[in-house]
Amino acid sequence: MRDWQPVLGLPLWVWLFVVPTTLMLLCILRPAAMRRVLQPLWGALDRIYNGAGAIAALFMVAILLLIVGQMGARWASLTFPGSTEYAGYAMAATSFFALAYTLTHGGHIRVSIFLNLGGRHHFWLDAGAMLISALTATYFARYAIKTNVLSEMLNDRTQGQDFAPEWLLTAVSMFGTWPWNWAALWAESGSGWVYTPVWLPQLPMSIGTVLLAIALWDYLARMLVTGAPQIKGEVLE
Amino acid sequence: MIEIYTTVIFLFVLFALLGGSVWIGLALMGVAWVGMELFTSRPAGDAMITTIWSGASSWTLTALPLFIWMGEILYRTRLSEDMFRGLAPWMRFLPGGLLHTNIAGCTIFAAVSGSSAATLNMVGKMSIPELRARGYPEYMIIGTLAGAATLGLMIPPSLTLIVYGVSINESITKLFMAGVFPGLVLAGLFMLYIIGWHFLSPGQRPKPEPRLSLGEMIAESRFLLPLFGLVFVVIGSMYTGFATATEAAAVGVLGALGLSLMQGSLSWATFVESLMGATRTSAMIAFILMGAAFLSLSMGFTGLPRALAGLIDSYNLSPIALIAVLTVFYLILGMFMDGLSSVVLTMAIVEPMIRQAGIDVIWFGIFLVVVIETAQVTPPIGFNLFVLQGMTRHEISYIAKTAVPMVALMLLMVVILVVWPELATWLPENIRRQ
Repeated sequence: MRDWQPVLGLPLWVWLFVVPTTLMLLCILRPAAMRRVLQPLWGALDRIYNGAGAIAALFMVAILLLIVGQMGARWASLTFPGSTEYAGYAMAATSFFALAYTLTHGGHIRVSIFLNLGGRHHFWLDAGAMLISALTATYFARYAIKTNVLSEMLNDRTQGQDFAPEWLLTAVSMFGTWPWNWAALWAESGSGWVYTPVWLPQLPMSIGTVLLAIALWDYLARMLVTGAPQIKGEVLE
Repeated sequence: MIEIYTTVIFLFVLFALLGGSVWIGLALMGVAWVGMELFTSRPAGDAMITTIWSGASSWTLTALPLFIWMGEILYRTRLSEDMFRGLAPWMRFLPGGLLHTNIAGCTIFAAVSGSSAATLNMVGKMSIPELRARGYPEYMIIGTLAGAATLGLMIPPSLTLIVYGVSINESITKLFMAGVFPGLVLAGLFMLYIIGWHFLSPGQRPKPEPRLSLGEMIAESRFLLPLFGLVFVVIGSMYTGFATATEAAAVGVLGALGLSLMQGSLSWATFVESLMGATRTSAMIAFILMGAAFLSLSMGFTGLPRALAGLIDSYNLSPIALIAVLTVFYLILGMFMDGLSSVVLTMAIVEPMIRQAGIDVIWFGIFLVVVIETAQVTPPIGFNLFVLQGMTRHEISYIAKTAVPMVALMLLMVVILVVWPELATWLPENIRRQ
């Protein structure tokens, strides 16, 4: 798989890095017009970030239940195969799903001595930092997806003793294909349990990093068109 | 030499991104990417995700969200009122009176929470107004609180120690155990300071508290006892080898939920708030750790850690001299960064150095926490100072001045740790194993 092969006639990096940056430039040059275009999206996007945050919280509860289950099994002298792997997957899921939600709620920290100086430069420093953050996060998301896709193509399986039911794999992977293939997919799916394919627990990584990148571009655009930082309640150290 | 130039570029990018207020997790990733591009021909993006994925999905890390959640639940209960009411009767006999509730309250809350900001909020919320009403001098109230709240980082569970343990692959249980005695000694030093103040400035003492009967004292502290029970179970289960750090955290969450149910302060709203708050804090730290994992991979390629470890070796720097240098280094770093970030940022470089110098890594973790604690109360960037500013509306400079004696005591603690390393190493070496 080549890393930056053309998509719709343009290299991938143009779509990922140049196009959003151009949009941000437009936000600086035509704030009023861009605001009319973008503002209707803000509510929906915020709901998506919050929804991902809620999913992250569910995985946090899942960690608790898994650990409690593991302890219970040990005391009852039973084995709970793969419990450490499951807890690890839940850990990754809670971290990645919450990335964007934490960002928009001002939860991520940064060194802000220069931001605290205030004044006009403050705004542009913040915008510059958000641009670099957005570019880095986009790169992060792009490779998260690549790794996730590769895990699926190479049929990478877990190193541990954890299993996943086949119906769950089918239920998730059917969204990777067109609906008219779904019937065939379900017909092939067995009812047993298989060693967890790595792509399944890696999905939250792809989703979470993509949401983080979108959130950064989104909040940068909001800041540029409104003229003020839009991340509320950020703890500035 | 090309290596020198590339190293300079690498370090410049590091400071530019961090100083340019890019979010720390992303700044570390950006620097690491530059390092990979400069020093190796390996594909940076693929190496990045492989490292980050194995780090983010590790089982060791699961202690982190659970301990955060436990602290969040207790933070949202009526614990702070109960703590003051419960501690006050026992503290009034000590010279220095109720000021000791600041220290004792912070010590107890530190034992259920891993963060010093939470400890500060929790104890300060109640003790500042109560102590003010009783006429204790302002500088003593603020100063002792600023100092004592840093115990949150030292006394287990400690988020800083979890992050340290994850970054250098050491047992979190051992690190937690190592923090117990130094934490108590530091609390003792703070209390001695209050006692000293009591005798040295008799003019500032407020009038003594009224007497209470023993029965009343016990009745007042009835809410404190379950909390002591929780601390005992969480730390005890780790010490006896009955539970791993993660399992102790799970017990802690269940215990905290039970405690707040019993107290009647657990509603659906507070439950959701605690869960979402913990999710955010946990994601924040996990994000920094992701960046740090990639950075330490990239750091390995730059050759910086090896070069510095070699340098230490060639200078024949004694461990004591190295510790002195590192103390100054972390104090300066702590002026600009929070504790967690300075740990993850430097571990890739510092770990080979201390291993080379033959310093015990468990002991070093405790040393690091004391120094970082100190940095939390020194300006210009000291997290505790900001929290206290928000609570009291005093100038940062005033709060920093009131905390100066505490900073001196914490530096004294560093000396104590160097002179008696067993303070930190004895308990972890004697954990019972199942």
